[in-house]
Amino acid sequence: MKISDLMKMGIKNLSRRKARTLLTVIGVVIGTISIVVMISIGIGMNKNFTSQVMEQGSLTTITVTTYADLPSEDGEYGGWKEQKLTDELVEMIKQMENVRAVTPVLQKYIILYSGKYESGVSVTAMDSTLYNEFEFPPLEFGDMTLNEMKDNIIFGSDSIYEFYYWGGGAGKSKDVDISKDKISIGFGDFMTEQGKKVFKQPLNNVSKLMHTDNWEYDYNAFMDIEYFKMLYLKYAKTLKIEDRKKAISSLEKYDQIKINVNSVSNVTKVQEQIKELGYQSSSLAMYLKPMQEASKMLQMVLGSVGAVAMLVSAISIANTMIMSIYERTKEIGIMKVLGCVIKDIKKLFLFEAAMIGFLGGIVGITLSYLASWLINKFGAPLFQALLSGSNMYDMGSTKFSVIPIWLPLLAAGFAMVVGVVSGYYPAKRATKISAIEAMKTEG
Amino acid sequence: MDKVIPKVIEVKNAKKVYRMGEERILAVNNASFDIYQGEFCCLFGSSGSGKSTLLNLMAGIERITSGKIIIKGKNIHRMSERGLAKFRQKNLGFVFQSYNLMNSMTALENVELPLIFKRIRTKKRKRVALEMLQKVGLANRVNHRPKEMSGGQQQRVGIARAFVAKPEIVFADEPTGNLDSKTTSEVMRLIKEMAKENNQTIIMVTHDRRLAEYADKIIHIFDGEIQKIEIINDVGGSL
Repeated sequence: MKISDLMKMGIKNLSRRKARTLLTVIGVVIGTISIVVMISIGIGMNKNFTSQVMEQGSLTTITVTTYADLPSEDGEYGGWKEQKLTDELVEMIKQMENVRAVTPVLQKYIILYSGKYESGVSVTAMDSTLYNEFEFPPLEFGDMTLNEMKDNIIFGSDSIYEFYYWGGGAGKSKDVDISKDKISIGFGDFMTEQGKKVFKQPLNNVSKLMHTDNWEYDYNAFMDIEYFKMLYLKYAKTLKIEDRKKAISSLEKYDQIKINVNSVSNVTKVQEQIKELGYQSSSLAMYLKPMQEASKMLQMVLGSVGAVAMLVSAISIANTMIMSIYERTKEIGIMKVLGCVIKDIKKLFLFEAAMIGFLGGIVGITLSYLASWLINKFGAPLFQALLSGSNMYDMGSTKFSVIPIWLPLLAAGFAMVVGVVSGYYPAKRATKISAIEAMKTEG
Repeated sequence: MDKVIPKVIEVKNAKKVYRMGEERILAVNNASFDIYQGEFCCLFGSSGSGKSTLLNLMAGIERITSGKIIIKGKNIHRMSERGLAKFRQKNLGFVFQSYNLMNSMTALENVELPLIFKRIRTKKRKRVALEMLQKVGLANRVNHRPKEMSGGQQQRVGIARAFVAKPEIVFADEPTGNLDSKTTSEVMRLIKEMAKENNQTIIMVTHDRRLAEYADKIIHIFDGEIQKIEIINDVGGSL
């Protein structure tokens, strides 16, 4: 038999018993929906975890801070310790395997001046040649290329607040466009010595980053650490002697060391090496891991709920096909006597079973998209109740069910495989029917 | 000198034993005979004589216990299942007492069926099947289903189906068993005409002496054994 004839015959057979075919297909539809929706919820959760963590920085970054939190045995907060971050440590970390870039970081609050108006921003001073290594987002305006002075300052998208003038009672605010208006920076850590001019450094090289969902970039300004030190030393000269000493010594100890690792999977390895040196480090990958494990578990549980539904529909396909063999015993006998090859009879039954699976799969996938949309639209209260305690959910925009492109393809394939597998036994049975016996049966 | 008519079927010491629990029933015992090309051969006997079993053995529908059946030089009981199916497609046609049509299919689709198995193109298949139905006088019943036709009409569809692939041999198992006498003679004439047209060999099983009159050769069977072979029209020139 030609494939086209076989298919025509199979489709005809299915449409002959519409009600039964329909019921069996509905079984597969339910199975497919439950698998797709369950997995999509699992994926949605995983995505949420990842994006929430990513909001706080890059996953390949390790940070060593002066004041480090210590995790206790069970992963909870276990106190803190102070660790001295020096250039030697930076050099040692640079030598480690899988480390792509290392930079010492100073974090200070700087004052921005625009005429008599003031604002402020916290600045992260680091090795400016490594901006690219730390995956800086693209610029909204300005230029990141470094000149000899390395006097660039890069503002995060949301790092600039309103400028205020505090003289004369209530503050007056003013809109400042940092791309056009002249701005100077200064420091407010100590009081300027009387008689000396307040330190102000006009900015020449201003740029701004595009918005990301990463707080680290959005709410900080970035400067080169050497240039920053130079400015700070200049500033120190305007201070009283005792303050000057404090200011200078504050430059000697770094606030952080930032390390970029070549891949997420190596983060833990590098952290262990740092620990061997006696330093506590932290990374977002560290937080993400248990979350991902939890969501993997959740995905497994949800997936197996769906799989049970699919199993039930597989049984129903097998049942339908066996029934149909009983009904068609005579036909099978006739076909055999007329010279139909046994393989074709088997193929016919397998095709019918696969068709049921395929139809159910297609309809199921279509309805899954609908279900997923409904869950995302109206599911918020339910998930809020389920996940009470996790305040990380931004319920407005969060998607609870995400269907990636591979999922429907997988589900359709799976439904068809279920059809073929559950049709296999009945098909085999059909081929065993003796022609002579079959033709004697009524039907 | 006449040209030599070849033997189409050779039955040699065919034997079939059924087992019914402990009992063994000898359905066909030691049957041997030849059938020539274009011959109309009738297996004649009362019910339970083993004539249908013999036909089924010849058609390869039932397994033989011992002996040989050679059709067109091939021992059909030595063939693989697939080989036998292909052999049937090519060489054998069947007419049954209970018609054995596919109830879900129209007359045309029923006649097409053997051609579908032979992988004939749709267009050609439809044309040939339609011609066949015209020949058996059912041009106006093409899209009717078996349940919508009389017994005689159904059997004519059966005949069209048996002959559509132009097989060399057509087996007919009590083809008129369910028909009244008027229809019977119509159907018999039809079979005979069809066979003559393409010089096809017919093997027919019947218990009706009047039907046996259509045959060139009548093989009398009683209790599984051949009692005598009556040659009415010496096709093979064996006398």
